[in-house]
Amino acid sequence: VPPTHPTPLTTPVFQILLSLIDQDLHGYALIQDIRDRTAGEVSLTASTLYAAVARLLESGWIEELDERPRPDEDDARRRYYRLTRPGREAARAEARRLERLTAMARDKKLLPALHPTKGAR
Amino acid sequence: MIVPRLYAALLHLLPRRFRNRFGREMTDVFAELHREAGTRALAREVPPLLALAARERLAGCRAALRARRMRPYSAAVAAASPAPAAPRVQHPSRDPRMLDPLRQDVRYALRSLLRAPGFAVVAVLTLALGIGANTAIFSVVHGVLLQPLGLPGETQLVAIGEGRTDGPLTTLNATSPGSFGDIASQTTSLAGVAAFTGVGLTVTGRGEPETLQGVSFAGELFAVLGTRPMLGRVPVAEEQVEGANPVIVLSYPTWRRMFGNDRTVIGKTITGNGTARTIVGVMPEGFRFPSGSAEFWTPQRWSPAFRVNRDQYYLTLVGRLAPGTSIERARADLVTVSGRLARDYATYNTNLRLNAVPLRDMVVSNVRTRLYILMGAVAFVLLITCANLGNLLLARGVMRRREIAVRQALGANRTRLARQLMTESLVLSLVGGAVGLLVGKLFMAMLLAQQTLVLPRRDEIGLHPAVLLFAFGVSIVAGLAFGVIPALQLSGGRSSDALREGSRGSGGQQWARTALVVSELALSLMLLAGAGLLLRSFAMLTRVDPGFRSERLLTFGITLRRQTPTTLTEMSDRLAALPGVRTVAAVSQLPATGRGGGAWFNILERPTPPNQTPPGEIYRVITPPYFETIGLPLLRGRLLTRDDRLDGMHAVVVNAALAKKYWPDGDPIGKEIYLGAPDNRLFDHGTIVGIVGDTKDGGLDADALPIVYGTNGLMPWWSSYSFVIRTSGDPTQLAAAVRREMRAIDPALAIQNLQSMDAVLRDQVAPARWSMTLLGVFAGIAVTMAALGVFGVLSFLVTQRTKELGIRLALGAEPGRLRRMVLAQGLGLAALGIAIGVGGALALTRLMASLLFGVTPSDPATFVAVSLLLITIAAVASYIPARRATQVDPLTALRSD
Repeated sequence: VPPTHPTPLTTPVFQILLSLIDQDLHGYALIQDIRDRTAGEVSLTASTLYAAVARLLESGWIEELDERPRPDEDDARRRYYRLTRPGREAARAEARRLERLTAMARDKKLLPALHPTKGAR
Repeated sequence: MIVPRLYAALLHLLPRRFRNRFGREMTDVFAELHREAGTRALAREVPPLLALAARERLAGCRAALRARRMRPYSAAVAAASPAPAAPRVQHPSRDPRMLDPLRQDVRYALRSLLRAPGFAVVAVLTLALGIGANTAIFSVVHGVLLQPLGLPGETQLVAIGEGRTDGPLTTLNATSPGSFGDIASQTTSLAGVAAFTGVGLTVTGRGEPETLQGVSFAGELFAVLGTRPMLGRVPVAEEQVEGANPVIVLSYPTWRRMFGNDRTVIGKTITGNGTARTIVGVMPEGFRFPSGSAEFWTPQRWSPAFRVNRDQYYLTLVGRLAPGTSIERARADLVTVSGRLARDYATYNTNLRLNAVPLRDMVVSNVRTRLYILMGAVAFVLLITCANLGNLLLARGVMRRREIAVRQALGANRTRLARQLMTESLVLSLVGGAVGLLVGKLFMAMLLAQQTLVLPRRDEIGLHPAVLLFAFGVSIVAGLAFGVIPALQLSGGRSSDALREGSRGSGGQQWARTALVVSELALSLMLLAGAGLLLRSFAMLTRVDPGFRSERLLTFGITLRRQTPTTLTEMSDRLAALPGVRTVAAVSQLPATGRGGGAWFNILERPTPPNQTPPGEIYRVITPPYFETIGLPLLRGRLLTRDDRLDGMHAVVVNAALAKKYWPDGDPIGKEIYLGAPDNRLFDHGTIVGIVGDTKDGGLDADALPIVYGTNGLMPWWSSYSFVIRTSGDPTQLAAAVRREMRAIDPALAIQNLQSMDAVLRDQVAPARWSMTLLGVFAGIAVTMAALGVFGVLSFLVTQRTKELGIRLALGAEPGRLRRMVLAQGLGLAALGIAIGVGGALALTRLMASLLFGVTPSDPATFVAVSLLLITIAAVASYIPARRATQVDPLTALRSD
């Protein structure tokens, strides 16, 4: 998979990548994190989650963790997932694509222009 | 708990590889989601799960196809061939990869189904429903009716009993020790005979006292049944005589439960009904006699005098036919014995006839009709499924006319194409069958969830190899049945027509579709009629007045210990002192729960002539104030009091049915009677002092039985009682207090079946409720499918006539009239289907007469109601296509095609 991919990512895939950027999570925690971050707008089911996880594992964008990040509060059966480098690249590429799209919307004054200080990131 | 398990079951839709990798995680995650959102979580889960399953399976198929294309041979060919020339058109028979036409057909079928996933999913789900229902019912039928009892040579086992010569041949009543001895010694056609009866055994000294249900037997029971114990030995003849050391054989589950896996249990004792009994054996797992609920077997210890007793009728006999002997020979033998008995012991055996039936028939006789009817019902569901699929395939055939025509034009012959279509149907039905097994498992869980249902050998029900084979067979038959329709269709029509006509169907097709829908409607009506009749029966049954006031009654059973420190009267008084209790009494058998104990009924002033036996009637031992407690009305005379004892006036009370039977015109009050044989009476004599109302003891659907009531003062030897407690509030609220009080009275007494009387009555109607619910569910499925069929056909007709309808609209036809036209077409189909269905139902519902109560098999109200229901459903199903007919945009319509 090339680091910059032309096709848009599905919502579950993109959201899972986002959640894993700064932490390793197990399945249910992923659902919770996505739900919290999107204020309930994106609420995955077990099937949508694992449909995406299966594809992400297959593309090598995420990997399953051997060690357990939080052994103290852990259920031994849970499997944790971690973002890989290609995964991070793919998420970044998708974010850039979205940025380009919103930029177009701004050009057309569909959205207000960005404040320079805020857009610096 | 059921929802997560349901989800786990649904995961089986996923390919194994996916499931193995993610199944457990998905179940865990779902469990969390279920904790958050409840059942809604499942509803949210299903659509994405189906999509995931479809995608993963598709990917699997594609990968397989790709792998196949990359097989060494083709790879070699590909490498050897020069740069891609013109695409090679291969004639099928010359393609070296496709030497096997069946494989080719299957592959083609898979591919063409994958191209139309919507169709495939609908078809597979429809089939799964039909096959699943069949599998579930068949697994019950198989477990209960067909699967052997698990005893060696069980076809040679017979049950033997006696009936009156003027009664039906099928009646097998219990017999006496004397007759048992004569049958055992005087028949040559039987290799062995043993006698048994059910008993309860209250085990104490091992924590909480508990009552085990088991068998007390006489004779070489285990030898007759042909089984050996897993541990220890079976009781020997010396242990069957009076004064012998009491011994007991435990069932495998009971041994496991009470002793863990302790193999040194042999020789230990348990205290049952106050007597220490030595455990001599443990039977192997899976040994069930006479049913799975038997927890122990213990020999009866008869005195020489009792061995020839001829008036205690409590033994059921089981015999093994001698090798090479038929049951008819045994019956003839028994007739000879009956004659000898009648001659030698005229007092006891006149008018009696011995008979034998296969043991298996006796075990399952009660549920056989119910199960056969359900089996018939699911067969109907399957027929409807097939009709529906036939219709789907016809519609699909229309879409594929061009494809088929092209293949025909390119030289495929009709046989080849027909076989191709059949293969597609078979592939569909096999996939449907596989999913159907899953559906069947769910159905089965539903079926067996009804704990109150007494289903003999329920623990033997499951997805056995035979059931799997059945599901497979049904799938094949279904595939052939609905596949033959589109295949036949090929034989008509020229291919050039199809190429020209576009994707519109021809007249012949329309006829086939209509016929299929009409038959679906007819079959649905038959199922609806059956379900309706059962529903009405059930309603009548629950409305039957049991003869007493069952509300606010708490009941439980006890078996008195010989050395119990407290008398029944004292127990009643202490229970009556509990707050919330109005009155308390005890009875030998709860009303509406079966015949129970019976004895010969003698009226002193009408002595039985010699050479005749007196009639038998049932009796109840009660403690006053029993009648007042259960609310049984006094019709004449007086009720029994605590003063009616052996040392007081010998008073008895009879019910109205008994009074009517023996004194149809006269007055029974003041007449003297006794129960039992002249020389062995239950009590010397009793005077009838009152007549009370009837209770439905022979079943809510049967006539009231004649009953004699006497007090425990009159029959003090009776030991097993059910208490009835009239409460002022909800009876179940008092259960804990009652249990506490009984423990305080005698901690060694086991309390059995503590429940409200209403719950007891509910158990009585459980089988009726079970058949009604199931048939209702099946009828519901059938009607849904029929409605879909009507909808499909009318939609199809409307689509076909789009051009015509458009022209009509353009020419100024009123939309309302067009709508009515389509509706009328739908209702016409429904009317035809209902007419045929009513005819079929009238013929078939007669078979279920024995399950009905209070309605005739041709009950007009039911038939009218279900016909109206079906018409309404057909009208609704027709409405959508009818509306669409008038929403045709004339311009689009004219342009279409």
